[in-house]
Amino acid sequence: MKPERWQQISRIFNRAISLDDAAARAAYVRENCGTDDDLKAEVEKLIESHEQAEDDDFIGGLAVEDVAEHFTGDEEERALQKGQQFGDYLILDHLGIGGMGQVYLAQDARLDRTVALKILSADVAADERRMQRFRQEAKVTSSLNQPNILTIFESGEVDGLTFIAAEFVDGETLRDYLRGKRLKFGEILDIGIQVLAALDAAHEAKIVHRDMKPENVMIRKRDHVVKVLDFGLAKVTEKKKSASGEEGLHEESRTEFKTAPGLIMGTVNYMSPEQTQAKAVDARSDIWSTGVIIYEMIAGTKPFGGTTSAHTIVQILEKDPAPLAHAGAPEVPQELQRIVAKSMAKDPDERYQTAKDMLIDLRNLKKRLELDAEIERSAAYPTAVFGPPAITTIEDAKRTAESTVAGISKTKAALIVALVAIVASVAAVVGIYVWRGKRNTPIVPPPTSVTPPAQPRLTYWITVQKYKDGKPYEAPFDLAGEINFEADYQIRLSIRGLQAGYLYVLNEGPTGAGNAPEYVVIFPSPTANDGSEFVAANQRVQIPNETWLKFDKEQGVEKLWLIFSEQALPELAGVKAFTNPRNRGLIDDAQLNKTIDSFLSSRLSETATPEKGDTFTALKTASKTLIYPIRLEHH
Amino acid sequence: MKKAPPRQEHEITQLLAEWRDGNQAALDELYPLVYDELHRLARRYMSRERKGHTLQTTALINEAYVRLVDQRNVQWANRSHFFAISAQIMRRILIDHARRQTYAKRGGGARQVSLEETAIVVQDDLSEFLRLDEALKALAELDPRRSQVVELKYFGGLNNDEIAGVLKISKNTVIRDWNMARAWLHHQLTGSAST
Ligand SMILES: Nc1ncnc2c1ncn2[C@@H]1O[C@H](COP(=O)(O)OP(=O)(O)OP(=O)(O)O)[C@@H](O)[C@H]1O
Ligand SMILES: [Mg+2]
Repeated sequence: MKPERWQQISRIFNRAISLDDAAARAAYVRENCGTDDDLKAEVEKLIESHEQAEDDDFIGGLAVEDVAEHFTGDEEERALQKGQQFGDYLILDHLGIGGMGQVYLAQDARLDRTVALKILSADVAADERRMQRFRQEAKVTSSLNQPNILTIFESGEVDGLTFIAAEFVDGETLRDYLRGKRLKFGEILDIGIQVLAALDAAHEAKIVHRDMKPENVMIRKRDHVVKVLDFGLAKVTEKKKSASGEEGLHEESRTEFKTAPGLIMGTVNYMSPEQTQAKAVDARSDIWSTGVIIYEMIAGTKPFGGTTSAHTIVQILEKDPAPLAHAGAPEVPQELQRIVAKSMAKDPDERYQTAKDMLIDLRNLKKRLELDAEIERSAAYPTAVFGPPAITTIEDAKRTAESTVAGISKTKAALIVALVAIVASVAAVVGIYVWRGKRNTPIVPPPTSVTPPAQPRLTYWITVQKYKDGKPYEAPFDLAGEINFEADYQIRLSIRGLQAGYLYVLNEGPTGAGNAPEYVVIFPSPTANDGSEFVAANQRVQIPNETWLKFDKEQGVEKLWLIFSEQALPELAGVKAFTNPRNRGLIDDAQLNKTIDSFLSSRLSETATPEKGDTFTALKTASKTLIYPIRLEHH
Repeated sequence: MKKAPPRQEHEITQLLAEWRDGNQAALDELYPLVYDELHRLARRYMSRERKGHTLQTTALINEAYVRLVDQRNVQWANRSHFFAISAQIMRRILIDHARRQTYAKRGGGARQVSLEETAIVVQDDLSEFLRLDEALKALAELDPRRSQVVELKYFGGLNNDEIAGVLKISKNTVIRDWNMARAWLHHQLTGSAST
């Protein structure tokens, strides 16, 4: 097209669209194009496109937003690839992504041990003075040899990338661990005690963590030992003051963060009041953050959480958190409430002054609760000498205990002495039995570990990402499942089984050939659990792992069949051939659809019973195979 | 091995000034420096995005600016030039990403299913995005200024006033350019496909 022609079109176009009335526009175009039909056609085409573009809000947002969600989990963005040699390390797997960069599982060729390799982003690594201090602190904390402090082996640089090699924790972060379950007080105390033991040792050595949060606490799968991560790293990553500030003057004791919308910021939810105000921070700030973590473990929600960081900070500074007894956990022991409240006093002078003090209180409480439980149990089952006690539920145990020993809870102190004899003799069997059970599977508190459930059990929950005008907005949230989803919400399904077993999730479609519905395989899928249908006990499976599921545009109810069994299910073995998300998991083999259908219908009478929590649903069944249709209603 | 930040700040400020004064070679030196910084920030934003933080291009570019440019010698013109080049770089970063992502092509036999993974749909969006880039290139041949308006606004996140400042045109011209360019691009992406 000639420039003159282009200018001519654009002139008429711009004048025309400045007229609101369609008829006036048409008239204007007709008038100005005269007999030049080509010109007229060009202009009209553009006007039409203009109107459509307005309606669709075409490129009305920002490019980076339009494509950002597609880059999550972008493999090629990772600095290192599986199987790659990196200095003395062989990269085995990708473990996660954090505020500072990627974390990998790697093999140290020299010592033949696996490590977690954290690659620091260039800006963090570039600050030599801070890195120096980090190395120094890492050395000190690691040399403490405290079992709850993550050991740092070394830090260094390879190919211009700064790395930290640390002990690999085969387990979950507390954040992931908390998802989809409510912890028992015993376990909360266990975790709290180990975290504080780590802090106590570090504080003694004059090291403040400054970034205590569930993401920085890991729980080892094998033995449930708790590890506190990232000691000394918070200081390194604190945002440098921009040139306006007097950098270097107070940065020893100051924490900088930005509150402008859209700017990068770690979570503020666990920051102490003094931290949010960038005041001097000492060990008592870690105590606050630990209090917040314990509160969250008890209540299932964070004590302070506004819609924006600024709101959260205001709450931290001014608001008292909802009392724990009301925050979804009515039976929380008084003493635990007191401990949490004391650790979260706004004024550091009113808090526990040392981690040790708080640790002692938690330990004493734990002993007391254990003793209570022991007393109740031994009083309830004096005949347990003949074999493992047949306690079915904690409630049973309590009820029996109360009827056997009148007023046991009120006169505990006196009874303790009297019961020592019983405890001593019965404990020889019961106590030791319980103790062993606990050792082997410390995740389950004593009463339930005595009688591990024989029937499959699992919890599931749905993570929702809201969309508005085709863009994600608001942070994703978890729910039990029963809402009417908006058509453009995107979801993830998370499942956690109490036992190890085989898991399948199938979406029932309309009836196809052979008079059976056509099923769509949602799980197993290569985008969740590495494509394996076998999941370990207590493992959380997220479907899909990196992306999301989205509904079609047709309003209705999606029926998602959840099938879980400790034994392999031969009827479902065939679905693996359809697990590729590229063919959308649709089973087009009529015979297989029929097999699945008759498998499901033959077990209809034994579908699992749901128990709804706020953010997850627990499923129970009396059969060997757990089957449950999740119904997702959507617009 | 790595340049100390102060020197780099100074260097970038200097290069921006030279570029503003018409030295095109300065731009060639500037480009990789800004690219690295923006790329790094963008990646960090993207990973934050997963944790529910919203993304704002201007905030991102602004952060790059604050980090890279010596704030003591700030001039408004410097800032707008920085944003102009950043818009161009953001475009390249995003297009490079999109291109890589669309390598994995979608399989055949696509029948409607009612619940499916977004990754599949994503590729449609991304190929659309790549087609937009192609169309924008074609527009640049036809009308460089209008294509630049789109680049600054859509890729760089600049508002009309800022664009007017960068291109040294009036705000009304920015709006007119935008309307024309957007209609033309929309037609390229939808109209030409159906005819
Ligand atoms: N030592 C480790 N062993 C096993 N996995 C680890 C280890 N360190 C980190 N990870 C994994 O890598 C993820 C990212 O860790 P990282 O510490 O970088 O992020 P973060 O704690 O969320 O943020 P921050 O940058 O504020 O520390 C963790 O969530 C965890 O899953
Ligand atoms: Mg961390």
